[in-house]
Amino acid sequence: MWWGGRGQSFNIAPQKEEPEMGSVQENRMPEPRSRQPSSCLASRCLPGEQILAWAPGVRKGLEPELSGTLICTNFRVTFQPCGWQWNQTLVHGYTVLYLLTSVSGLSRVQLLRPGSLHKFIPEEILIHGRDFRLLRVGFEAGGLEPQAFQVTMAIVQARAQSNQAQQYSGITLSKAGQGSGSRKPPIPLMETAEDWETERKKQAARGWRVSTVNERFDVATSLPRYFWVPNRILDSEVRRAYGHFHQGRGPRLSWHHPGGSDLLRCGGFYTASDPNKEDIRAVELMLQAGHSDVVLVDTMDELPSLADVQLAHLRLRALCLPDSSVAEDKWLSALEGTRWLDYVRACLRKASDISVLVTSRVRSVILQERGDRDLNGLLSSLVQLLSAPEARTLFGFQSLVQREWVAAGHPFLTRLGGTGASEEAPVFLLFLDCVWQLLQQFPADFEFSEFFLLALHDSVRVPDTLTFLRNTPWERGKQSGQLNSYTQVYTPGYSQPPAGNSFNLQLSVWDWDLRYSNAQILQFQNPGYDPEHCPDSWLPRPQPSFMVPGPPSSVWLFSRGALTPLNQLCPWRDSPSLLAVSSRWLPRPAISSESLADQEWGLPSHWGACPLPPGLLLPGYLGPQIRLWRRCYLRGRPEVQMGLSALTVSGLQDELSHLQELLRKWTPRISPEDHSKKRDPHTILNPTEIAGILKGRAEGDLG
Amino acid sequence: MLGKGVVGGGGGTKAPKPSFVSYVRPEEIHTNEKEVTEKEVTLHLLPGEQLLCEASTVLKYVQEDSCQHGVYGRLVCTDFKIAFLGDDESALDNDETQFKNKVIGENDITLHCVDQIYGVFDEKKKTLFGQLKKYPEKLIIHCKDLRVFQFCLRYTKEEEVKRIVSGIIHHTQAPKLLKRLFLFSYATAAQNNTVTDPKNHTVMFDTLKDWCWELERTKGNMKYKAVSVNEGYKVCERLPAYFVVPTPLPEENVQRFQGHGIPIWCWSCHNGSALLKMSALPKEQDDGILQIQKSFLDGIYKTIHRPPYEVVKTEDLSSNFLSLQEIQTAYSKFKQLFLIDNSTEFWDTDIKWFSLLESSSWLDIIRRCLKKAIEITECMEAQNMNVLLLEENASDLCCLISSLVQLMMDPHCRTRIGFQSLIQKEWVMGGHCFLDRCNHLRQNDKEEVPVFLLFLDCVWQLVHQHPPAFEFTETYLTVLSDSLYIPIFSTFFFNSPHQKDTNMHQRQLSLPLTQSKSSPKRGFFREETDHLIKNLLGKRISKLINSSDELQDNFREFYDSWHSKSTDYHGLLLPHIEGPEIKVWAQRYLRWIPEAQILGGGQVATMSKLLEMMEEVQSLQEKIDERHHSQQAPQAEGPCLLRNSARLSSLFPFALLQRHSSKPVLPTSGWKALGDEDDLAKREDEFVDLGDV
Repeated sequence: MWWGGRGQSFNIAPQKEEPEMGSVQENRMPEPRSRQPSSCLASRCLPGEQILAWAPGVRKGLEPELSGTLICTNFRVTFQPCGWQWNQTLVHGYTVLYLLTSVSGLSRVQLLRPGSLHKFIPEEILIHGRDFRLLRVGFEAGGLEPQAFQVTMAIVQARAQSNQAQQYSGITLSKAGQGSGSRKPPIPLMETAEDWETERKKQAARGWRVSTVNERFDVATSLPRYFWVPNRILDSEVRRAYGHFHQGRGPRLSWHHPGGSDLLRCGGFYTASDPNKEDIRAVELMLQAGHSDVVLVDTMDELPSLADVQLAHLRLRALCLPDSSVAEDKWLSALEGTRWLDYVRACLRKASDISVLVTSRVRSVILQERGDRDLNGLLSSLVQLLSAPEARTLFGFQSLVQREWVAAGHPFLTRLGGTGASEEAPVFLLFLDCVWQLLQQFPADFEFSEFFLLALHDSVRVPDTLTFLRNTPWERGKQSGQLNSYTQVYTPGYSQPPAGNSFNLQLSVWDWDLRYSNAQILQFQNPGYDPEHCPDSWLPRPQPSFMVPGPPSSVWLFSRGALTPLNQLCPWRDSPSLLAVSSRWLPRPAISSESLADQEWGLPSHWGACPLPPGLLLPGYLGPQIRLWRRCYLRGRPEVQMGLSALTVSGLQDELSHLQELLRKWTPRISPEDHSKKRDPHTILNPTEIAGILKGRAEGDLG
Repeated sequence: MLGKGVVGGGGGTKAPKPSFVSYVRPEEIHTNEKEVTEKEVTLHLLPGEQLLCEASTVLKYVQEDSCQHGVYGRLVCTDFKIAFLGDDESALDNDETQFKNKVIGENDITLHCVDQIYGVFDEKKKTLFGQLKKYPEKLIIHCKDLRVFQFCLRYTKEEEVKRIVSGIIHHTQAPKLLKRLFLFSYATAAQNNTVTDPKNHTVMFDTLKDWCWELERTKGNMKYKAVSVNEGYKVCERLPAYFVVPTPLPEENVQRFQGHGIPIWCWSCHNGSALLKMSALPKEQDDGILQIQKSFLDGIYKTIHRPPYEVVKTEDLSSNFLSLQEIQTAYSKFKQLFLIDNSTEFWDTDIKWFSLLESSSWLDIIRRCLKKAIEITECMEAQNMNVLLLEENASDLCCLISSLVQLMMDPHCRTRIGFQSLIQKEWVMGGHCFLDRCNHLRQNDKEEVPVFLLFLDCVWQLVHQHPPAFEFTETYLTVLSDSLYIPIFSTFFFNSPHQKDTNMHQRQLSLPLTQSKSSPKRGFFREETDHLIKNLLGKRISKLINSSDELQDNFREFYDSWHSKSTDYHGLLLPHIEGPEIKVWAQRYLRWIPEAQILGGGQVATMSKLLEMMEEVQSLQEKIDERHHSQQAPQAEGPCLLRNSARLSSLFPFALLQRHSSKPVLPTSGWKALGDEDDLAKREDEFVDLGDV
């Protein structure tokens, strides 16, 4: 049961748990919850977690209501249904203190703030999560018992002084009691050179090699220890070239398209530097990556700024609150007013354009964002999702996120508000929304389901693994004890890993069984996934003209949805002054607007006759096609979330496997008893009925 | 591209079948495939259809990713349709011809489907009507099914332009006599084709027996009786020949005000409460007449207030509810969002999509209708009250609300046959003025109100929210909405059963309702989905409508408690009406917009998977059967409709031809420059190769 999702409104909750909950209620009488000793609870804490207060209560908003205990610790507020095993609660009952946005006693609804009046009887407490979840607990005896007051106050206070969660080191393998260190991470964490090499081979990126230049994080702490650079570039050149980029984030390969194109990402040019000729050459070679055709994509152009994203997300959250005051007939314009969907649309549109650039001809496409840690990751992941069927598998998607977000140094902690810094912006959540849109539009092309996205969405604030709790790979590695030579640096907190714990392998968010039951993990699979027209038909084509010696013959800037020719790749060459930056953007003699109007919209005509390359998805991004992720954002609201046809598919799949099993059973022997079996109540469809209906339809259509 | 239309119609050699089947089966196509490619494109005429005028070398703009290129061909106007016969047939593709409308080709516009005609004079767009002094160089036709056609007349001979433009304007815009409807010429010419489909069990409600059957089915026969007092329309021309009234009601009362003021039975609930409707008495100034009316009504109310009748609640739909004017305004704003002349215009409005949508308030009207229906459902279901719907003629909102209530309460109406019977009962026999409301005769634009379309949109919301509860799909509804404008079916072309009976002598082509091909039969799962799809809901925390009104409270409680329980698809079914839950019927409104196409995506992707699995289930079941009977059963041919097309587009099964090679939407200026380069040949290879992968 996912408590956050108002429980059952998530279909992911396995139905099997329902009887369990029923029994919980029945058992309530003989076993008074209020005697539950807090010491018993304490034993179930995470390492370093302390229980601040607890009170018995009833979880509301569910049918049936759950009774249990509301616990406030220094990490989280959790509601633990009584009768549940600890493991389950650990898994399902997560929230983190800094999730709270408002707390209220109900009989007179009151928004609780740390400084607000302390004289009240809390009958009920409503906790709105920052991740759109809602926890609603009614206290026993109408809140007259002191525990109710204590826990409320504890929550309110803890909310005021939250930011401790970032200190948390995550569950390590030994602590989680998951057995010895022989366990392999479910997906490559891209922390070793082998991981990178394996991935490079998988992508058949022959012109590239794994560079170890950042092994000690001395080129950039925000970069992974390993990354891909062109074969012909020496590590020393890489080091020098990277110095001319913002925060040392120079160009490196993101993805090699099987058709031969390369997708690169890099930070902005560090304009204060004054590179010599050699360096410029190295930079250019790296950007060119052996292609004669180079397109530089200005990632930030036409996309929202970080502040925009944050503002939109805040507005969206306010709109989706269950008691939001927006009238029904004004809902749509209010939704538009958040601009969130607009941003989703902008991302999809840009990603779609870039994937066309990558697919349409063999070239090097470079995503350039000043910081290279936010929108670059978003776009590069989206482009891969659109163009590479492998990225749409469960494994592929998780590796993608691990590579393009976690390893690439997306500052998760800052962006998700963990540090309290002003640079909060849920770029990753924006990305998840984009992926959800794709999932909606192409329901048969993704191996994972909406529930997987939802689980990922909810995981970003869960403090059990470090995946999303650090800003850079360096910090992550430091904490997980992999960099023993660097741990001299003082890190605050209790979680200093003891010496010699190199076996103490860090768990990642991808260890789903840590938090979700098997039944839930099964729901991560999209029943409608139809891999047939996917990876197999994807044959990498050898590119004879991969390495083109000499300078690029054409250099383009992709900006505002259009390609403009560029004089040069780097801003420094001809005019080493600082002003170079602006002059760089001046295109060659502009094409007159008249010819633009006359021009055919779109690609050269020969593209028209050519069918879409298999595996490439072009998403729709019209107003009516971008939808609200209701199952995620409207969780706090009482509307039902229906699975629509997807559940029909899964029902059919069950039916299929059932029939197949039946047939297998019968194959060796046929006996008359089987007749009764065939008509057993499990059989979802009556065969004659199907045949009848299908026949009827066929005739009707011929009719 | 009309070739496909021709194919659909059988290449002019076969007379079309009388029943309306939208999408033919592939086999039929394949037999004709060769002929067509060899033949010149010919105009295919239906029986009784006459060519009126034509023009050659007309350029039809192909609205493909806003490319402004076109196809040359002939523009033809008959007394049934405007058709464009293109020369460019090279793009014909087998897969795509599978799903063609048999009557209306891709480039055919029935005259009744034409909404507005614009002419472009020197880049300026003007509405065309009446006598023209100057003839436009470009003709833009907006259709009622939201297609937009653009024809360039610049290369056409002047007198041909004159003839075709004035012909089209005359035949689509000028007021017409009922007798001039194509329906009649078609009926005369094709009468020998009349076949009653034995499969079609739709109850027509044109006999006393049908009404008795319905009474029996709903167990209303205890308190209500079917009467034949209006046989031959002796009493009233607005009422059907047979209808149902409360048993104690004296039959002479019906005659008193020509059927006005009489409670007419619509439907009975399992708990005995009934839905009634009544057309209001004529408004009178004279006190004496008013007095008579009052005493008459008192008598009526006395009859139906007495036991065994339940307490009656009167819902006056003329005063406290939507006005037809509102519906008309909202829809005309709403449809503009989808009538797109060019992409630039489209992208401009796209930014403000949600606020434009909201300002049309079409969705809000849908919400209000659904809400009203829920309120009435609550009265009947929870409070066991009879509800009497009151409206001036009881033929607009009465039809809409009473049909919605029945859809929500009576699972029979959610089957295809049941739904068709419902439309027959409430709309056709209920005297909805289809002729006026659709403005088929172009006699009065003010009367044109899309009430029936509003109803279909409300039904779509229900289907969309609870697909397993319905036997039909949204595609069925879309096809049904299209058949409003196809004048070879009599169903939607009369104002009342009386008008139809006096004008149509034989029962002819009665109902165009036929299941569309792509419908996946979700109804299949009705028995079993309960454990698959659970409606999992908690209680509401906040109220959507803060009203202390008792009625509101009842409504709210009823609504909340229903939604907090798991859904029984065979029982009461309520829609969600919260802001985010009312949606745009994308299939109907977006299907002709190429930009809205998602190649290989959309619902269709799930649907094809579903069908594939159903086939597999079926073949496995067959194997099991075989094994059991140990004899070879005749191999039943499964439906192979989505078989060979792995990547259908989201617009399937409608605008298939628009965009089979999807282009990136790069509003680029750069491509031209790219093309100037000298490595063109090389790049061409690359393109081709990529395509072959």
